[in-house]
Amino acid sequence: MHEAWLYDGASAVRHRVTLEAAGPALGIRGAPDPELCLGRDELVHVESRADAELYGRRSVPGWRLGVPRPVPDEIAALLPARQVYGRWIDRIGLGKALAAGAVASAAILFLGHKAPALLAPLVPYSWEQSFGDALVGDLGGKFCAGTGGQAALDAMVAKLTPDPARYKVRVVNVPIVNAVALPGGNIVIFRELLAEADGPDEVAGVLGHEIAHIDNRDVTRAMIREYGFGLLLASVGGTTGGNVDMLASASYSREAESKADEDSIAALRRANVSPRPTAGFFARLARHEKGLDGWDGALGYVSSHPLSEGRRRRFEESAEAGRVYAPSLTEEQWAALADICHNDSNR
Amino acid sequence: MNDMSGGPALDECPADSSFRFTGSWREFLPIALTNFALTVVTLGFYRFWAKARERRYLWSRTHFIDDAFEWTGTGKEMFLGFLIVAAVLMPVILFVNFGFQAMVLRGQAALAGAILLTLYVGFFYLYHVAKFRALRYRLSRTWWHGIRGGSDAPGWDYGWKGLWKSAAGWAVFGFLVPWSMTQLWNDRWNRMSFGGHPFKADAHENGLMRRWLLLYLVPVLSLVILSMALAAVAVSLGTDLEDGTVESSAIIVSVVVGSFTVYGLVLLFGLSFYTLFFRQVAAATSVGGLSFVFTARTRDWLKLVLGNIGLVIATLGVGLLFLSYRNWAFVVRHMEASGVVDLDLLTQSTARAPTDAEGLADAFDFGAV
Repeated sequence: MHEAWLYDGASAVRHRVTLEAAGPALGIRGAPDPELCLGRDELVHVESRADAELYGRRSVPGWRLGVPRPVPDEIAALLPARQVYGRWIDRIGLGKALAAGAVASAAILFLGHKAPALLAPLVPYSWEQSFGDALVGDLGGKFCAGTGGQAALDAMVAKLTPDPARYKVRVVNVPIVNAVALPGGNIVIFRELLAEADGPDEVAGVLGHEIAHIDNRDVTRAMIREYGFGLLLASVGGTTGGNVDMLASASYSREAESKADEDSIAALRRANVSPRPTAGFFARLARHEKGLDGWDGALGYVSSHPLSEGRRRRFEESAEAGRVYAPSLTEEQWAALADICHNDSNR
Repeated sequence: MNDMSGGPALDECPADSSFRFTGSWREFLPIALTNFALTVVTLGFYRFWAKARERRYLWSRTHFIDDAFEWTGTGKEMFLGFLIVAAVLMPVILFVNFGFQAMVLRGQAALAGAILLTLYVGFFYLYHVAKFRALRYRLSRTWWHGIRGGSDAPGWDYGWKGLWKSAAGWAVFGFLVPWSMTQLWNDRWNRMSFGGHPFKADAHENGLMRRWLLLYLVPVLSLVILSMALAAVAVSLGTDLEDGTVESSAIIVSVVVGSFTVYGLVLLFGLSFYTLFFRQVAAATSVGGLSFVFTARTRDWLKLVLGNIGLVIATLGVGLLFLSYRNWAFVVRHMEASGVVDLDLLTQSTARAPTDAEGLADAFDFGAV
């Protein structure tokens, strides 16, 4: 016999009851049911109060049995176990749960860090292409189509890579100094980069760098890292959730940038184009960045590809003394490319 | 423990004993620490279960007349609520972060602006819906004597009321804010019930205007005074300024001190306004023959706020774990009720128990009242 109290869940009246063992079940005597037998499965531990344990009944909301402490052993044996931290954690114990949680979250953080590099090669190229086309399509009427300009650009791509059909390189009429690699082999050069460049070889160095980003799947990797897989999938589904701005702001890791420079230098060497002009281009951009006011906003290249003395020197030092380099474009081709946005008949 | 099996009406309770907080920080400490540890090792996932545990403790240590309250909300339902809200808000956040800028860059600024404005209005609408639903959720998970509260209203119409009344409150230089606040308090509570008894609220903005205007004028007047003082200092130091930097640092110091003074004044007058607001709305709210009194004065609120700040600083941040405990204890200790509870007449609520938890309110980050 153990004194307890009971609410029946229908009214607020508190009933005095006594508890006793009735075989494998808990016997409850008193109002409102004169005799009630409940198995342990029908009861649920609700909470521990300062002076009592509180139990509920699965089938009746608001039904509450308050059992004052100390609870005699023969009664306690008929009651369900206490809930403290939540079902899963109570089952394995707090210490183990903390340890398991620490291991699992460390693993998740580690995988989250590694996931982009691991997953990028698994993304089908056709998804990337449809996403990239959607992004480039967004830029719509801003493509420059001056006479001979695109042909010159395509000629430059053909020099830098054995598989030029993989890439779609366009110039857009947006006044910033930048070039970005987009998914699906798309490369977008912004108008002001051509204006800043002193010759075709400077553009070739930058282009080689962006081509390397595409070959190394850095674009996909950055997308996975910054926006998650879901966004990519949603975009494939037809809604262009993403856009060029977000990708332009997605930064690559230092290793990816370094590898892209290395590949660009190799491509220039294969094409017999001097890397020195690219080094000079970087040096000029860096001076602009430090010196002139009002340039910061326009220098997208500097913010998305941080310039360092090391980067410039690497291009500089890759030049082979005594080697006779050929320009990447003829005078006429370069003139057409540099003017691709000015004599544009579409404008 | 009184025997109430016969179901007699309780005697009228002395006003100062109806609500009691019986918790202790020593009991709460292990809960707070294990909650914190589990939240850390689960990268934040446990926080819904942590909140449920915390509330279960606080409610169970809150006595009303002869028995404690009980919190039956679960971490799982709060987590599901969070997931639903994340799914709703994610496209909005993506547009604000990426889409808007992209559209402006492409020369569609007008359309982008229109979409953004629509989203903002929708955001405020959802804010009010969330405020209603948070209160409804809390009442439906709060039990006493095996009886719970709740509401049958989904809160969609309250969202519109919240939208237009807040807009009207702020429209004329914010002069009608006390009106909109008390009105919305009534609109919320008049749709709530406990057991079979509906809440009744008829709060009025009378008497709130003076403190509102004080709060309203403090920053304006302080700015005027501060800039006049600064101008005077600048003029008197004008010639020295050209020589050295000592005087300009003096100006910076006085600006910093001045700003802190203004913040302090705004805090003080803000507390004094809210003190009166809560006293008035509590006094205007009743349920099933019970009426309420909230006794906290401005200096009590000030002690709470300064105590919270001091605790967090003195414990190098560990005290953050205790703020919810302190705030809850503060509210309960200053809450009084008078009237008669007829336990026979207090029967189970028939209001639908919502299943969507507080996700929306959680996303907007505010409490229920």
